[in-house]
Amino acid sequence: MGSSDLLTTFCRQAEAMGAQTLCVAEGEKAADRIIASMRPLGSRVALVASPLVEEIGLEEALAGAEFEVEKEGRDFARHADIGIVEFDLGIAETGTLVHDATDLKKRLASMLPLHCVALLRSGKVVPDMAEALSFYLKSGQWPGYLAMVTGPSRTADIERSLTIGVHGPEGLLIVLLG
Amino acid sequence: MASRDFQQRLQKALQNPSLRGALERFADSYVVSREQVFAGRDFQALRERIAAIKADAAGRYEELAREFARQVTERGGKVFFASSAAAARDYILKVAQEHRVTEIVKSKSFATEEIHLNEHLEGHGIRCFETDLAEWILQLMPGERPSHMVMPAIHLPKEEVARVFSNYLGEPVEPDIKNMVRIARRELRERFLRAGLGISGANIAVAETGTVIICTNEGNGRLATTVPPVHIAVFGYEKLVPRMMDVVPILEALPRSGTAQPITSYVTMITGPVPVERDGREGPKEFHVVLLDNGRLKMAADPVFKEALQCIRCAACTNVCPVFQLVSGQVYGFIYSGGIGSILTAFFNSLADAADPQSLCIGCRRCAEVCPAHVNIPDLVLRLRERVVKEQGLPLSYRAALRGVVAHPGRMYTLVKAASRLQGPLSRGQPFIRRLPFFDNFTRGRSLPALAREPLRDRARRLAPPPERPRLRAAFYSGCVIDFMYPEIGEAIFALLREAGAEIVFPAGQGCCGAPASYAGDPDTTLHLARLNIASLEGAGADVVVTACPTCAVALKYDYPRLLGRDEVWSRRAQSLAAKVKDFTELVGELGPLPRLQGEAEAAVKVTYHDSCHYKRHLHLDQVAREVLREQAGVELVEMAESERCCGFGGSYTLKYPEISRALLERKLRRIQETGAKVVATDCPGCLIQLRGGLDQKGSPIRVMHTAEVLYRAGFKAERVE
Ligand code: SF4
Ligand code: SF4
Repeated sequence: MGSSDLLTTFCRQAEAMGAQTLCVAEGEKAADRIIASMRPLGSRVALVASPLVEEIGLEEALAGAEFEVEKEGRDFARHADIGIVEFDLGIAETGTLVHDATDLKKRLASMLPLHCVALLRSGKVVPDMAEALSFYLKSGQWPGYLAMVTGPSRTADIERSLTIGVHGPEGLLIVLLG
Repeated sequence: MASRDFQQRLQKALQNPSLRGALERFADSYVVSREQVFAGRDFQALRERIAAIKADAAGRYEELAREFARQVTERGGKVFFASSAAAARDYILKVAQEHRVTEIVKSKSFATEEIHLNEHLEGHGIRCFETDLAEWILQLMPGERPSHMVMPAIHLPKEEVARVFSNYLGEPVEPDIKNMVRIARRELRERFLRAGLGISGANIAVAETGTVIICTNEGNGRLATTVPPVHIAVFGYEKLVPRMMDVVPILEALPRSGTAQPITSYVTMITGPVPVERDGREGPKEFHVVLLDNGRLKMAADPVFKEALQCIRCAACTNVCPVFQLVSGQVYGFIYSGGIGSILTAFFNSLADAADPQSLCIGCRRCAEVCPAHVNIPDLVLRLRERVVKEQGLPLSYRAALRGVVAHPGRMYTLVKAASRLQGPLSRGQPFIRRLPFFDNFTRGRSLPALAREPLRDRARRLAPPPERPRLRAAFYSGCVIDFMYPEIGEAIFALLREAGAEIVFPAGQGCCGAPASYAGDPDTTLHLARLNIASLEGAGADVVVTACPTCAVALKYDYPRLLGRDEVWSRRAQSLAAKVKDFTELVGELGPLPRLQGEAEAAVKVTYHDSCHYKRHLHLDQVAREVLREQAGVELVEMAESERCCGFGGSYTLKYPEISRALLERKLRRIQETGAKVVATDCPGCLIQLRGGLDQKGSPIRVMHTAEVLYRAGFKAERVE
């Protein structure tokens, strides 16, 4: 599969699993587009700093757009409406996001708020689970907390009726960049 | 006899329509969605890979456990090897007490239920909160049992859940699922944030890296392992695999098999302690693993039952089990349910505890088809039954029937002949017994076949002489049902094969194949009959041994060589017999269209085909039979829905669990009637008994015939099939 095929498959699968995807082309104002999609979700944001967040100037843009941004501190992410986290990889076959979430803030921001905005470089999509695991096996010590996320949190425990947003986010927005 | 508790649970479950409705609805949609989610994948190759990985691991648990522990310890975690449930409980309690924990959050874990952890901790004043939604609901309902391994509360209607929530909150709650899920999120979020300890299970544990892998959809597993400052993962040795790449096939199969999902929302891989927030500051979490033996190492050393450790706990086997759909997990009485559950219970609890659960298996083999770990569940259940019988003995009546009569063809013949004369008034001149005095429950919903006045072995002597230059010499092994109840099937077979240019004989001295004894857990009687039948059939000097009963065929082909495997001489004799065994319909397919079978096709008769469990899933001849029928002039084959579902016969099962047998039969009859067919064809005389009996009681004009009878009537006798 070529890289654009991988990306298409990834988006199709992720959407099938209940995530939303937002593809931002190179040269586009990424931060503006993300902010536009975040507006309806709330105003308190738990943001985990990362190279990509820096690159697109997301923190400043959020502040400018009057979001309340927290980046650390006691009770981090506990009261936020939205958590923003960069992920390492996407798995095309299942529309899955993968990240080394040993860093506590990454975990809290992607678990506690009702919405999660996941940032991913579009060149980081691999075909399947085996490729994703090889990636981490090759990159030195195995991560302390490797998390794979596919769609929002879900349950079918009552009458098998699919309901999203149990303990984790009920909304997962995947932003694919450049 | 089943214990009284067990009987009570069974009756309660069978009389609970909402339980049954929920399980049946799920099971029906599961079959379809499982197919879809595996579409385009090589399921056989996948399950062989998983079986190989897990079997290899089971061969060296202690080595893998050491490697796993070394990795975890190097990262700063602690591993406790718990030999028993009590050792595991004590360790967990000690850790909780050291940290002065008063509240614990748990994400779903079989192992902790297996060791009854909650009760133990509660006994020491520590509260445990289940955080999986279904488990939490059940926890709020004292006395309620999980009904399914993966969906424990599937049996509860939303109104019931709303009542439970209203009670809990002390305010009215509407039966609105979305809203109730929100309530659970709110209530449990508090628990996560307050708890001093999180407990999880594991779906897989990787020795190479010391990694614990947890699959969840709700996200409770992530919170339980991220928010509290201490985490204990509790799981059994069977979760260990050697290498990280071994998880790939397991993660491919597990969610697809369990809930027909390509992947669970979350797959969490935890390796050693990671940072956590404690008193407002970030520091390393305390991480413990409790690796549970509790019978697993003994199981791994058992040459027969080691196979069950391949299980990845996906519940696919129970999802497709027709018995489970009727009785639910609540009946089994232990945390692991279904056929596989009875095997695990035998080792994790005791053989005695497994006695009732294992007896529920009717042996339809549906589970074995879908198991992604390639565990031969029905065969293991039979081996387990043998051990139960060895320990507890056979019920006296069984013993007398099997060892006193069935084991001796001469005695059986005399007795059956006598009985056939005695039954006159019962069958009222019809080939059925509609009611048996004193055994009302047994005949309710099903008439019994009357015994034939003259068994096949007597009739065979009169049947037409062999052709002059026979194409082949065949020996017919009839089995009890054809011999004593339906000799006309045998007559049809003799006529058809002679027409096809074969010589066919009925070897004297043959007896029961032993299957009734095997299914009762009495392999000794089968062994005795195996020698007797081998000797009798060898004496015929035939090229092929023809059977028309799949249960007999399986005994001759597979059970005899296995049972006689240790005896060099008998093993060779058993194998050379096994190589000659051929099912009648299969033989017809190979001989090519029989000369007189291609009569003028007048208006074809609609025939529908019922797959017998052993014919399809042991002999794999289901498509062969259909081809033979399709080629037959005068027959129009129409498929019924669920043609491969068990009809509920299962031999003595009909006696032991008449209600289950009848419920399975009812469903089958509905499917048959829906087709509008005039005739049901099948290749198993056992199914014939069950289906004919059921249709007779319904007063239905639909005829049930062995494939041989259909061919005989349609072609050779130039009769209409009806
Ligand atoms: S063989 Fe049939 S009855 Fe027995 S456990 Fe498997 S599916 Fe259930
Ligand atoms: S026995 Fe097979 S089908 Fe049943 S739970 Fe285990 S792995 Fe799944």
